[in-house]
Amino acid sequence: MDVSQYLGIFLDESSEHIQTLSDQLMVLEQEPENEDAINEIFRAAHSLKGMAGTMGYKRLQRLTHDTENVFSAVRGGQMKVTSDLIDVLFQALDAIQGYVDTIRDTQDEGDDDNDAIIEQLNKYLSGDSSAPAPKKEETKVESSQSGSDDKALYKKIKFEDAQMDVMKDAISGGNHVYGFTVTIQQGCLLKAARAFLVFKAVEDFGEIVVSNPSSQDIEDEKFENAFSVFAISSEPIDKIMTAMKAVSEIEDVIGEEYNDQMIESNQPDDDIASETHEQAEAEAQTQAAPEPPAAEEQPAAAAAPAAKKQTPAKKAAGKPITSRTIRVDIEKLDVLMNLVSELIIAKNSLVSAANASNLNGASENVAVNEHIEYLESVTTSLHESVMKVRMVPIESAVQKFPRMIRDLEKKLGKKMQLTITGEETELDRTVVDQIGDPLMHLLRNSADHGLEMPDVRAQRGKPETGSIFLNAYQDGNNVIIEVGDDGNGIDVEAVRQKIIDRNYASEEMAAQMTEKEVINVLFDPGFSMAKKVTDLSGRGVGLDVVKSNIEQLGGDVEIKTKLGEGSTFIIRLPLTLAIIQALMVIIGGEKYAIALGNIQTIEDIPVSDVSLVENKEVIQLRGSVIPIIRLSEMLDAESTSEGNSNITIVVVKKGDSLAGLVVDELMGQQEIVIKSLGKYINTSKIISGATILGDGEVALILDSNALF
Amino acid sequence: MVDELGLKVEPDASEINQYIVVSLGNENYGVDIRYIDNIVRMQSITRVPKSSVYYRGVINLRGEVIAVMSARIKMGLPEDEITGKSRIIILKFESNESIGMLVDEVKQVVTISSENIEKVAHEKNGSQSFISGVGKVDGGLISLLDLSTIIDERREE
Repeated sequence: MDVSQYLGIFLDESSEHIQTLSDQLMVLEQEPENEDAINEIFRAAHSLKGMAGTMGYKRLQRLTHDTENVFSAVRGGQMKVTSDLIDVLFQALDAIQGYVDTIRDTQDEGDDDNDAIIEQLNKYLSGDSSAPAPKKEETKVESSQSGSDDKALYKKIKFEDAQMDVMKDAISGGNHVYGFTVTIQQGCLLKAARAFLVFKAVEDFGEIVVSNPSSQDIEDEKFENAFSVFAISSEPIDKIMTAMKAVSEIEDVIGEEYNDQMIESNQPDDDIASETHEQAEAEAQTQAAPEPPAAEEQPAAAAAPAAKKQTPAKKAAGKPITSRTIRVDIEKLDVLMNLVSELIIAKNSLVSAANASNLNGASENVAVNEHIEYLESVTTSLHESVMKVRMVPIESAVQKFPRMIRDLEKKLGKKMQLTITGEETELDRTVVDQIGDPLMHLLRNSADHGLEMPDVRAQRGKPETGSIFLNAYQDGNNVIIEVGDDGNGIDVEAVRQKIIDRNYASEEMAAQMTEKEVINVLFDPGFSMAKKVTDLSGRGVGLDVVKSNIEQLGGDVEIKTKLGEGSTFIIRLPLTLAIIQALMVIIGGEKYAIALGNIQTIEDIPVSDVSLVENKEVIQLRGSVIPIIRLSEMLDAESTSEGNSNITIVVVKKGDSLAGLVVDELMGQQEIVIKSLGKYINTSKIISGATILGDGEVALILDSNALF
Repeated sequence: MVDELGLKVEPDASEINQYIVVSLGNENYGVDIRYIDNIVRMQSITRVPKSSVYYRGVINLRGEVIAVMSARIKMGLPEDEITGKSRIIILKFESNESIGMLVDEVKQVVTISSENIEKVAHEKNGSQSFISGVGKVDGGLISLLDLSTIIDERREE
């Protein structure tokens, strides 16, 4: 039996549930009495168990079952939440995550039973009187027996003439016709998968003539907890029913053999009444599950509030199917993005062709120009829309951090509090997928090296609990993520000393380095500040990996630090990776693109305004001194503006610093598609990629951030 | 046997190999046809600053940016003279990334069976060899280019 088509859904949803469990456990640890959190946890654990069972992952099911029992006891008030209990639950959660990871990689849950954790969970449980699981079973059996008469829904199926003929033919041909009604357990996820398996079981013995609801509706999960089928088979009914009941999470199967007469007389009686009855029955049952004694004494009236309670939970579980969002394979989006890129290149070609024909003296065609302008605005909006589709909140990358800090707190014996703001800030999906690791490094760095031990903090007059923060926000064409702490900060002089001690630079050179330069050494491969090697950081891989990871994403990172007050890492990431607005410039007869987002102003100044400070060329602009960079020299090109009385300067910014780039000529603004130079050609960091211009030529993209 | 670029170094004994004959300076060389994706005319090449000397730059091939190297400079021959016969051979390996190689002229396709190919061992010291073997064609000899040495960055001094 094949449930592999549901594997994707299973993986996605179980990840969501695991995340909910993790989040709510954190809440619960802070506020052990928080009922919402307990309910949320219980719901997630229960769903997880159900899904594991459905997919046939026995070990995962066993572990989630025992975990659920603990939550159930907590919810029932038989157990108090303690820090130790939370520890065990987190261990269980890690084990569950382990199973899910294994399933993701191998489609199998592996063979680790995690007995130790299960034993611990049961130890917590053993003190309590309640054993919820067996009780649940009992009530189910009872209610399904009492309700079996009303539940023979197959009696209410109305046959079409053709179907009746088929069945009658079958009977006259010596086969049997059976009607079945299958009830699926309340709270079963993937009902359609269950129904699918039941259909398959029946089809092993014969042929299904009709089902209610229709097989399409069943596939789309458009049914309550029961469905009915009529099947033709030569096998005895018991055999088929046994096979149907063997499908897990099937609560009950009832059925009987039909003869000609019964087929004729099968008529739907008043559907509505029986359906409501059936529903009430089902609701009473769900209510009965957690609190068996109460439900048995109380009639339907009391079941109503319980039913209300149940509905939102069910909706939450079923929401992803009916909600107005769809899951799309990221590859499809990549294809779409590539096509938009092609379109923009084609549009640029059209623009330059039209310009060329205008220049050739042909009378300017106003209509063509108008259409081109319209095309430009459409392609720009199209590009923006596709980009928006690819944007996801950084939440998914940062949501695991509160848990990580909690674990570090225990491990390091420091008190710390993590605050995250701006989780809703959106970034390209590719960036969000890859930003998690660098951020984790930085947070660990803050926890391990940044924050002082509690006694030291007390001496310094800081609150005992150190605070670590992660703030994300959008800044123009960039997204900024700040990670920092209120700990010790970086001791610049200590780093300077280390630079000398490790022969990283000579004493004179080190003495001449500015504070910024010293701090930047920390990002160099192989240079680590840790006094002792811990298993968290300090192995010399860390900051340099962070820097290279972020640079791969087209971003950069800098540090602000003050000794004794803490340090902040500021990560700057581009909003989009594929298409940007750029200023096209000419340097030594060659065309280059500079991202518009990095440009502050463009200045045309007399050569005489350039002065020398410490042998470096600078200009004064509105009161501030700005270093200027002659791009022709950086790019080994021959400037064509040599000897002119004025120079054109593109002022670019990176964080708070500015620099002036000297170019020969300005071409104008253009939307460009970023292409990689490929792995073969090696070049300097200044060149971040290439783009194809309207005339088909290739222009290189300058990364002004690499010039600082 | 497969080397770092994923090129098959030793063809089957019975295999018949096709080579495209190109000229570089005064000599003709054979390029294994299996790695040739395309041959394009000379077009405008955008110089890439700060790259190795033997890279001429990048070109636009149907919307893809492809690096172009000069086989002459890489092999230590005098610098290219661009003529109407100059061609860029687009090579594609298993890594699925293309690279262009600038040659003086593309002459013909020849078929050489394996028994007519004499292997040349890589010289361990001294000058680098860019030749993987010598093939006999119509009584003449033709040097077969070892694409992995020409392309591979790691054999840089």
